[in-house]
Amino acid sequence: MNAPVTSFDTVSVTVLPSVARFNLRIAPADLSVASAAFGLTLPTKIGQGAQSGDRAAYCIGPDEWLLHAAEADQQAIVSAFAAVRADTAHSLVVISDREMTIGIDGPDALALLSVGCPIDLSRLPIGGAKRTVFDYAQVMLIRDAEDAFRVEVWRSYFPHVHGLLEIAARELTVGL
Amino acid sequence: MTEYRVEGRGRVNRAKPVKFTFDDKTYEGFEGDTVASALLANGEHLMGRSFKYHRPRGVVTASSEEPNALIGTTRGGGKGRFEPNTRATMQEIYAGLKTESQNKWPSLKFDLGAINDRLYMLFSAGFYYKTFMWPRSFWDSVYEPFIRKAAGLGKAPTEVDPDHYASRYLHCDVLVVGSGPSGIAAALTAGRAGSKVVLVDENSEMGGTLLSEPSVSIDGQPAWEWLEGAMAELDRMPNVTRMTRTTAMGYYHQNMIGLVQKLTDHMADVPEGAPRERMWRVRAKEVVLAQGAIERPMVFDGNDTPGIMMAGAAQTFLNRFGVLVGKKPVVLTSHDSAWYSAFDMADAGAKVVAIVDTRETVSQALLDEANARGIKTYLSYTATGTKGRLRVSALRVNPVRNGKVGSAHLLFCDAVLVCGGWTPSLHLFSHTKGSLHWDEEAKVYLPGHKTEDVHIAGAGRGLWGIAAALEDGTKAGTDAVKSLGGNAGVATYEVADDRTGTGITQKELPTDRSAGKAKAFVDFQNDVTAKDIRLAVREGMKSIEHVKRYTTNGMATDQGKLSNMNGLTIASDALGKEAPQVGLTTFRPPYTPTTFGAFAGYHKGKHFEVTRKTPIDSWAEEHGAEFEPVALWRRAWYFPMAGEDMHKAVARECKATRESLGIFDASTLGKIEVSGPDATEFMNRMYTNPWTKLGVGRARYGLLLGEEGFIRDDGVIGRMRDDLFHVTTTTGGAARVLNMMEDYLQTEWPDLKVWLTSTTEEWATIALNGPNARKVLAPFVEGIDISDEAFPHMSVRECTVAGFPSRLFRISFTGELGFEINVPARHGKELWEKLWAEGQKYDICPYGTETMHVLRAEKGFIIVGQDTDGTVTPQDAGIGWAIGKKKPDFVGKRSLDRPDIVAPNRKQLVGLLTEDPKTVLTEGAQIVADPKQAKPMKMIGHVTSSYWSESLGRSIAMAVVEGGFDRMDDTLHIPTENGDAVPAKVTSTVFYDPAGDRLKVE
Repeated sequence: MNAPVTSFDTVSVTVLPSVARFNLRIAPADLSVASAAFGLTLPTKIGQGAQSGDRAAYCIGPDEWLLHAAEADQQAIVSAFAAVRADTAHSLVVISDREMTIGIDGPDALALLSVGCPIDLSRLPIGGAKRTVFDYAQVMLIRDAEDAFRVEVWRSYFPHVHGLLEIAARELTVGL
Repeated sequence: MTEYRVEGRGRVNRAKPVKFTFDDKTYEGFEGDTVASALLANGEHLMGRSFKYHRPRGVVTASSEEPNALIGTTRGGGKGRFEPNTRATMQEIYAGLKTESQNKWPSLKFDLGAINDRLYMLFSAGFYYKTFMWPRSFWDSVYEPFIRKAAGLGKAPTEVDPDHYASRYLHCDVLVVGSGPSGIAAALTAGRAGSKVVLVDENSEMGGTLLSEPSVSIDGQPAWEWLEGAMAELDRMPNVTRMTRTTAMGYYHQNMIGLVQKLTDHMADVPEGAPRERMWRVRAKEVVLAQGAIERPMVFDGNDTPGIMMAGAAQTFLNRFGVLVGKKPVVLTSHDSAWYSAFDMADAGAKVVAIVDTRETVSQALLDEANARGIKTYLSYTATGTKGRLRVSALRVNPVRNGKVGSAHLLFCDAVLVCGGWTPSLHLFSHTKGSLHWDEEAKVYLPGHKTEDVHIAGAGRGLWGIAAALEDGTKAGTDAVKSLGGNAGVATYEVADDRTGTGITQKELPTDRSAGKAKAFVDFQNDVTAKDIRLAVREGMKSIEHVKRYTTNGMATDQGKLSNMNGLTIASDALGKEAPQVGLTTFRPPYTPTTFGAFAGYHKGKHFEVTRKTPIDSWAEEHGAEFEPVALWRRAWYFPMAGEDMHKAVARECKATRESLGIFDASTLGKIEVSGPDATEFMNRMYTNPWTKLGVGRARYGLLLGEEGFIRDDGVIGRMRDDLFHVTTTTGGAARVLNMMEDYLQTEWPDLKVWLTSTTEEWATIALNGPNARKVLAPFVEGIDISDEAFPHMSVRECTVAGFPSRLFRISFTGELGFEINVPARHGKELWEKLWAEGQKYDICPYGTETMHVLRAEKGFIIVGQDTDGTVTPQDAGIGWAIGKKKPDFVGKRSLDRPDIVAPNRKQLVGLLTEDPKTVLTEGAQIVADPKQAKPMKMIGHVTSSYWSESLGRSIAMAVVEGGFDRMDDTLHIPTENGDAVPAKVTSTVFYDPAGDRLKVE
């Protein structure tokens, strides 16, 4: 897929292809069941992430996880969780279409995100994720590398967030 | 070289002359000059006219507290780039800068408004309150326009500001505000300890006092060399950020500080796309306030004459800008600091006429230095008047002996340099609501109990001298690092030639003339005099808060930085009380005037506010929809065809839907997945309705109350599995309902195994309504039979529609056969287009929210928030049937038994049919039983919904009316704007197809 990219010397803003995305709620004591169903050991600390191949899991609450997988695997994952539902109470909700994803890469990635995100981004560990806001819009912020982030934002907030990121990315090129 | 520029002094760049204009006249200064310093270098003191009396005014300070030298500036020569009330002391000059004086007509030197000055006896304290009271009818037509015309400084810009304003968040360990010696010492200490430090200063260069005190030496280096070294060291540290032209304008909770950084206002050539200012929202673990102190004016007759300014300002103009503010100055002081200003002036070539000190004694060292320079000294003297109108030409001084003012003589001069003591700058500390401590000896307020992680250093807490400031800044830095859990090395500084000193503060100076006629100004910006403050006290104002509001002292844009303490001293003297008993007014953000642009940031134009759009929004736009805002969403309101107004379009959409087929974008409806083994129990507790017996594949109308029993939200809820409900909410209620549910789940019922997930945006939702709805839908549906028998009204199934996975509901908000198709959001528009194409066979008609409202009103379906207002119970709304009578509990149940909730005469929702079927009532109109009763009439309710019903060929309305259910068939009256009253009959709210036959399409 040719993603729309706004690229400047020090930062680029990219609309990323869609993924299979789930909201998982389960008691922490039952986590191993979820790990087995998803095929990845889920992290236990809020903010932590775990990745394997194209699957990823991020702990975003005391009993809440964000799961990512390849789009083709969506139905298989739904079925795997459905198979254990009777014995292990949980909620798995498909939210693949709820959010859209924006990639932010480059040495100025932190500066760009600081335009709308009030948290101390330097404290977000690589591979981790955080539920926060970007200029009024709730977002999931995932840190893939020192200067590479993904912002997942609800579909209807996407134009506002993406537009503001583009304005601010352009501002960064002025150097003031 | 201009006349008042001193060779070899100052930090301006002599190699770079800069031309700018003031009132259309071209002046020359140097790079590094402010407008004020450049005009003073040209001998111009007169820079403006005062607010109330239009008195000629000159520059008083060299800094951001300037009350007088407020000018209009036009930056970048551009349309919309005019700014009023720019402080001439802060605006740097650049080639092409256009500036102008304010509050003058026809010219700065001859101003007709100055007639107010001659009539000053009329404009006493409380003038507005006393004069503009009566008659009442004069207020709108005479008084208010007069006050509006007279009030305000400068003129408001009329063009849209084309500039770009930026904002960012910033996190640091230590934020240091102010880059004088204490701020630099604090930053060096914390920086060397490895803390992430941000050092800010509102000036164009750092150094604070050091810029005005080049004769001091630190660690064996001249002050400016040491300063350069300190800046270089800070810049070498990767953990330290320095920001100039950056004002800490507000100090908010938990060490959140707002900084406004001016990025381009000093540039002749602004880079393309550069933001003008940036708001930094800083979250600092520790804050060091090193803001210094503000010099206090002296209050005497004529103390506002141009050429009279603060002695410290004169010292700054000389040492930082190389400008002599006068060649024959007189110094009038009660503090040692002004003596040093006099010496610097004399050493730079000025003929200092005299130093007049109100104190009886000063140190012999000062007297010796004055004598050595041939400066006359007058101790225990007062100032009682001035000569000169546009520029001071003489100061009238008198000896004071045993409290008696002796005979006057004149000291001829071209400037008077004043120092009435120093006031520690407490503004940012005051924003934190930290308490203030009254220092009895120094007669100043100092920072007291702290509520934030803040350290105050240097002159800001009453210390004096550069050695003391450096030591105290180091201590603040060390303390900050210690609070962070670290350790800082404690540097010591050797300071030579430090010019320490002491002084006193005082009320208005004693005079041999009538104090009642003295124009002795306390607040230059608001033209408040000492006698105004005494009058306010005589007229009963006992607290400084009242004195302030009665006289407007300290209420101008400088927030009384120069005037508050003098005002307080005079008020406490008049009251015969100590200052702490009279109080101190509260300082509020912003510290200095701040542009609206800085606050607005990116929120303008398309980014003014979030506008949420559905996946189908672009189709609606392409098809000419008018939109209306609903919560943050914009929704298609109606789809006008050529020549149609809203009324005609809605009538057509209603007719098409009832006769054949309408299609509606319902994607904005809130959706919540309620999932888990205890889902049914949770639903039973949250909603009024019973859920236990609702079968899988069935849907039910759900009603949500607050704890107080009033309707909060509603929506259709489908049971997808035993342990899974698909809940829908109103568009505006989506987030609120989820929060409320989570609140109960987390705090009241943590034992329930059930989880909530918002799926509002996972699904695009398309509603098909009309007798032909099934015909258009059926060819697309796979996996289920949607015949009336297999898929009756209030059913839900998972299936595929047009190949897309779908949750298909058979429900109706119109009274017609209806379906709502939920598909993953990305497919919403494609499905819509397919249905649209297929629907052409049935003259499919897209409709918007207005038609939706009319169709539901014809059926008497309520809209929460329109027909309810937070005080309506299910019984009031006529939907008591939605309450599960056998349920042990649900949110709001117990409140429904309260006496006032079951009282007979509550406002109840009824239908209204006007006698004249063509009259459409106004929504919100009040209702009376008898239009002939005397005014004020008793209002018994109001109209909540009102429309033209094309289906019925007449108007319909819903209303809440006291005891409405018992008034069926009564005629009530709805008074209108023009004095008439429209008669209308009370009816049921179901106007159309009361038997519901239209849902039963085979």
